[in-house]
Amino acid sequence: MRCFNCGAVLSGNDFCTNCGTDIRIYRRIMRLSNMYYNDGLKKAQVRDLSGAVESLRQSLKCNRNNIDARNLLGLVYFEMGEAVAALSEWVISKNIKPERNVADDFIEEIQSNPTRLSGINQSLKKYNQALSYCYQESYDLAIIQLKKVLQMNSNLIVAYQLLGLLYIHAGEFGRARKTLENGRRIDKNNTLLLSYLREAEAALEERDGNALPSSRRGGSHTRASNDSIVYQSGNETIIQPLNTPERGGSSTFLNIIIGLAVGIALMWFLVLPARIRSSAAENSDEMVQVSNELTAKSADIDELNKRINALTQENRDLNDRIETLSGGGSVVEMYDILAKAALNYIEHPDEVIATSNILEGLAGENTEDGELVYSDAFKDLYGYLNSNVSKKAAEEYTQKGMQAYEGDNFNEAITNLQNSFNIDPTNDRVLYYLASSYRNLGDSDKATELFSSLVNNFPDSEFIDSARTYLRNGAENEGDGQNNNNGANDTGNTETPAATTPEQVLRGIDLTNGGQAAADPLFGAGAAQ
Amino acid sequence: MIDFEEELKKFHPSLEVEDAETYIHNTDVIDVVDLMIQLAEASRIYEE
Repeated sequence: MRCFNCGAVLSGNDFCTNCGTDIRIYRRIMRLSNMYYNDGLKKAQVRDLSGAVESLRQSLKCNRNNIDARNLLGLVYFEMGEAVAALSEWVISKNIKPERNVADDFIEEIQSNPTRLSGINQSLKKYNQALSYCYQESYDLAIIQLKKVLQMNSNLIVAYQLLGLLYIHAGEFGRARKTLENGRRIDKNNTLLLSYLREAEAALEERDGNALPSSRRGGSHTRASNDSIVYQSGNETIIQPLNTPERGGSSTFLNIIIGLAVGIALMWFLVLPARIRSSAAENSDEMVQVSNELTAKSADIDELNKRINALTQENRDLNDRIETLSGGGSVVEMYDILAKAALNYIEHPDEVIATSNILEGLAGENTEDGELVYSDAFKDLYGYLNSNVSKKAAEEYTQKGMQAYEGDNFNEAITNLQNSFNIDPTNDRVLYYLASSYRNLGDSDKATELFSSLVNNFPDSEFIDSARTYLRNGAENEGDGQNNNNGANDTGNTETPAATTPEQVLRGIDLTNGGQAAADPLFGAGAAQ
Repeated sequence: MIDFEEELKKFHPSLEVEDAETYIHNTDVIDVVDLMIQLAEASRIYEE
């Protein structure tokens, strides 16, 4: 501390050791300034900004060079949205103490963000504009402008104050209270805010008309609505809900029932569908798995069935083979017949007809599998017997037939000649006499058929003229040619019936030997040679 | 009940940036110490 008179450094004495000036009052003024500063600092720490401003102003009145108090005053102004006032205090502070002054930092921070400073300045201009609207009694415009101000600079206390006042003036006490309470969040003990807030609350109470008796709630309690009580406790506004009377037992039971119903409904609509979906998904998975297994089993069964069918068919074929080898008409039997025929031919070479009859037992068998069943030796032996025996048998039949024909025993002649022709269908002579036998018996149809066969199939036959003569004259003149055995009456032009092969002719005859093929019933024409 | 007109008179235009210089120059920087110095000076003159 320096002497205010000479500027010398003061000691612990009550006077200046340099100029002798009494400094007791000066010391007390300095202490008073510091005391105000401390008070302002405490108030600022509890957000009593307006109170802090008052204390700091007192401090500066005592000592204008109290740098700390001036810098703190600038901070409080800035917090209250008065940025220009804050800057002014910091500029003055810096002017008083240019070096090592924290105000430098504040100014630098403000100036480093021109956009923010411009926004603050614009908000202040709008506030002034709103105030101007108020002076012009354009309160609605003022309210709109103040809302914009608070959007731009939400710490501007004077804007909260003015907006609250305008709301109160407009009768919108609820909005006024809300606005003023917002302002109190910045400056808790602002006198103007508090007075307006009380005015707004009083107006609300009066409007609602439901204030509680002061004796019950200590005088400051009010009923904000039917369900709550609002009262002031210090700086806090407390809204306490009213106790509701307990409901009766029936209503409790009803509530329990309703709760159970709601619970069941929730279970039904929320839990059960989820469970059902989960179970359905599990069942679906199991179904898919079982289906896959079933498909695999079915494939196995099909394969086994195919194997069974194949084995059954193989078994059937083998049984057929066994039946073929050992049953009636089997290979063994065929060999047996062939052996009997051979034995008969060896023992009785002249009885060719008997041997031929034995060989006829082979003629009716199925020859389709002959190549597989019969051996080459079998075929050779059969061919030998068939060629020798059949030829001789045919000659013997022919001889017997001609003897019977000449003896006018035409029935026997027909039997023998027919057997002969069956064995050797190339013998036109046998065919001619066979037809003549029918003619002599009076069977003109059969005779005509056989003569026609002769004419058609044996054009070079020596009997063709006789056959044509019969066919031309028919049954009417049959008596004329009955004894004309050679029938050498060549008339030239003859008309013959439709062409028929010898086999066709034979099929029309009741053959006694079962209609067997003459040349080679078993192995075809080649084997009979 | 507050008087709106009277209350409105309590509000003054806020300082804008353009007004800062004027505000600073017009700020009354005289404090109690200055008064005391002036009193001491006046007393000394009176004694002389």
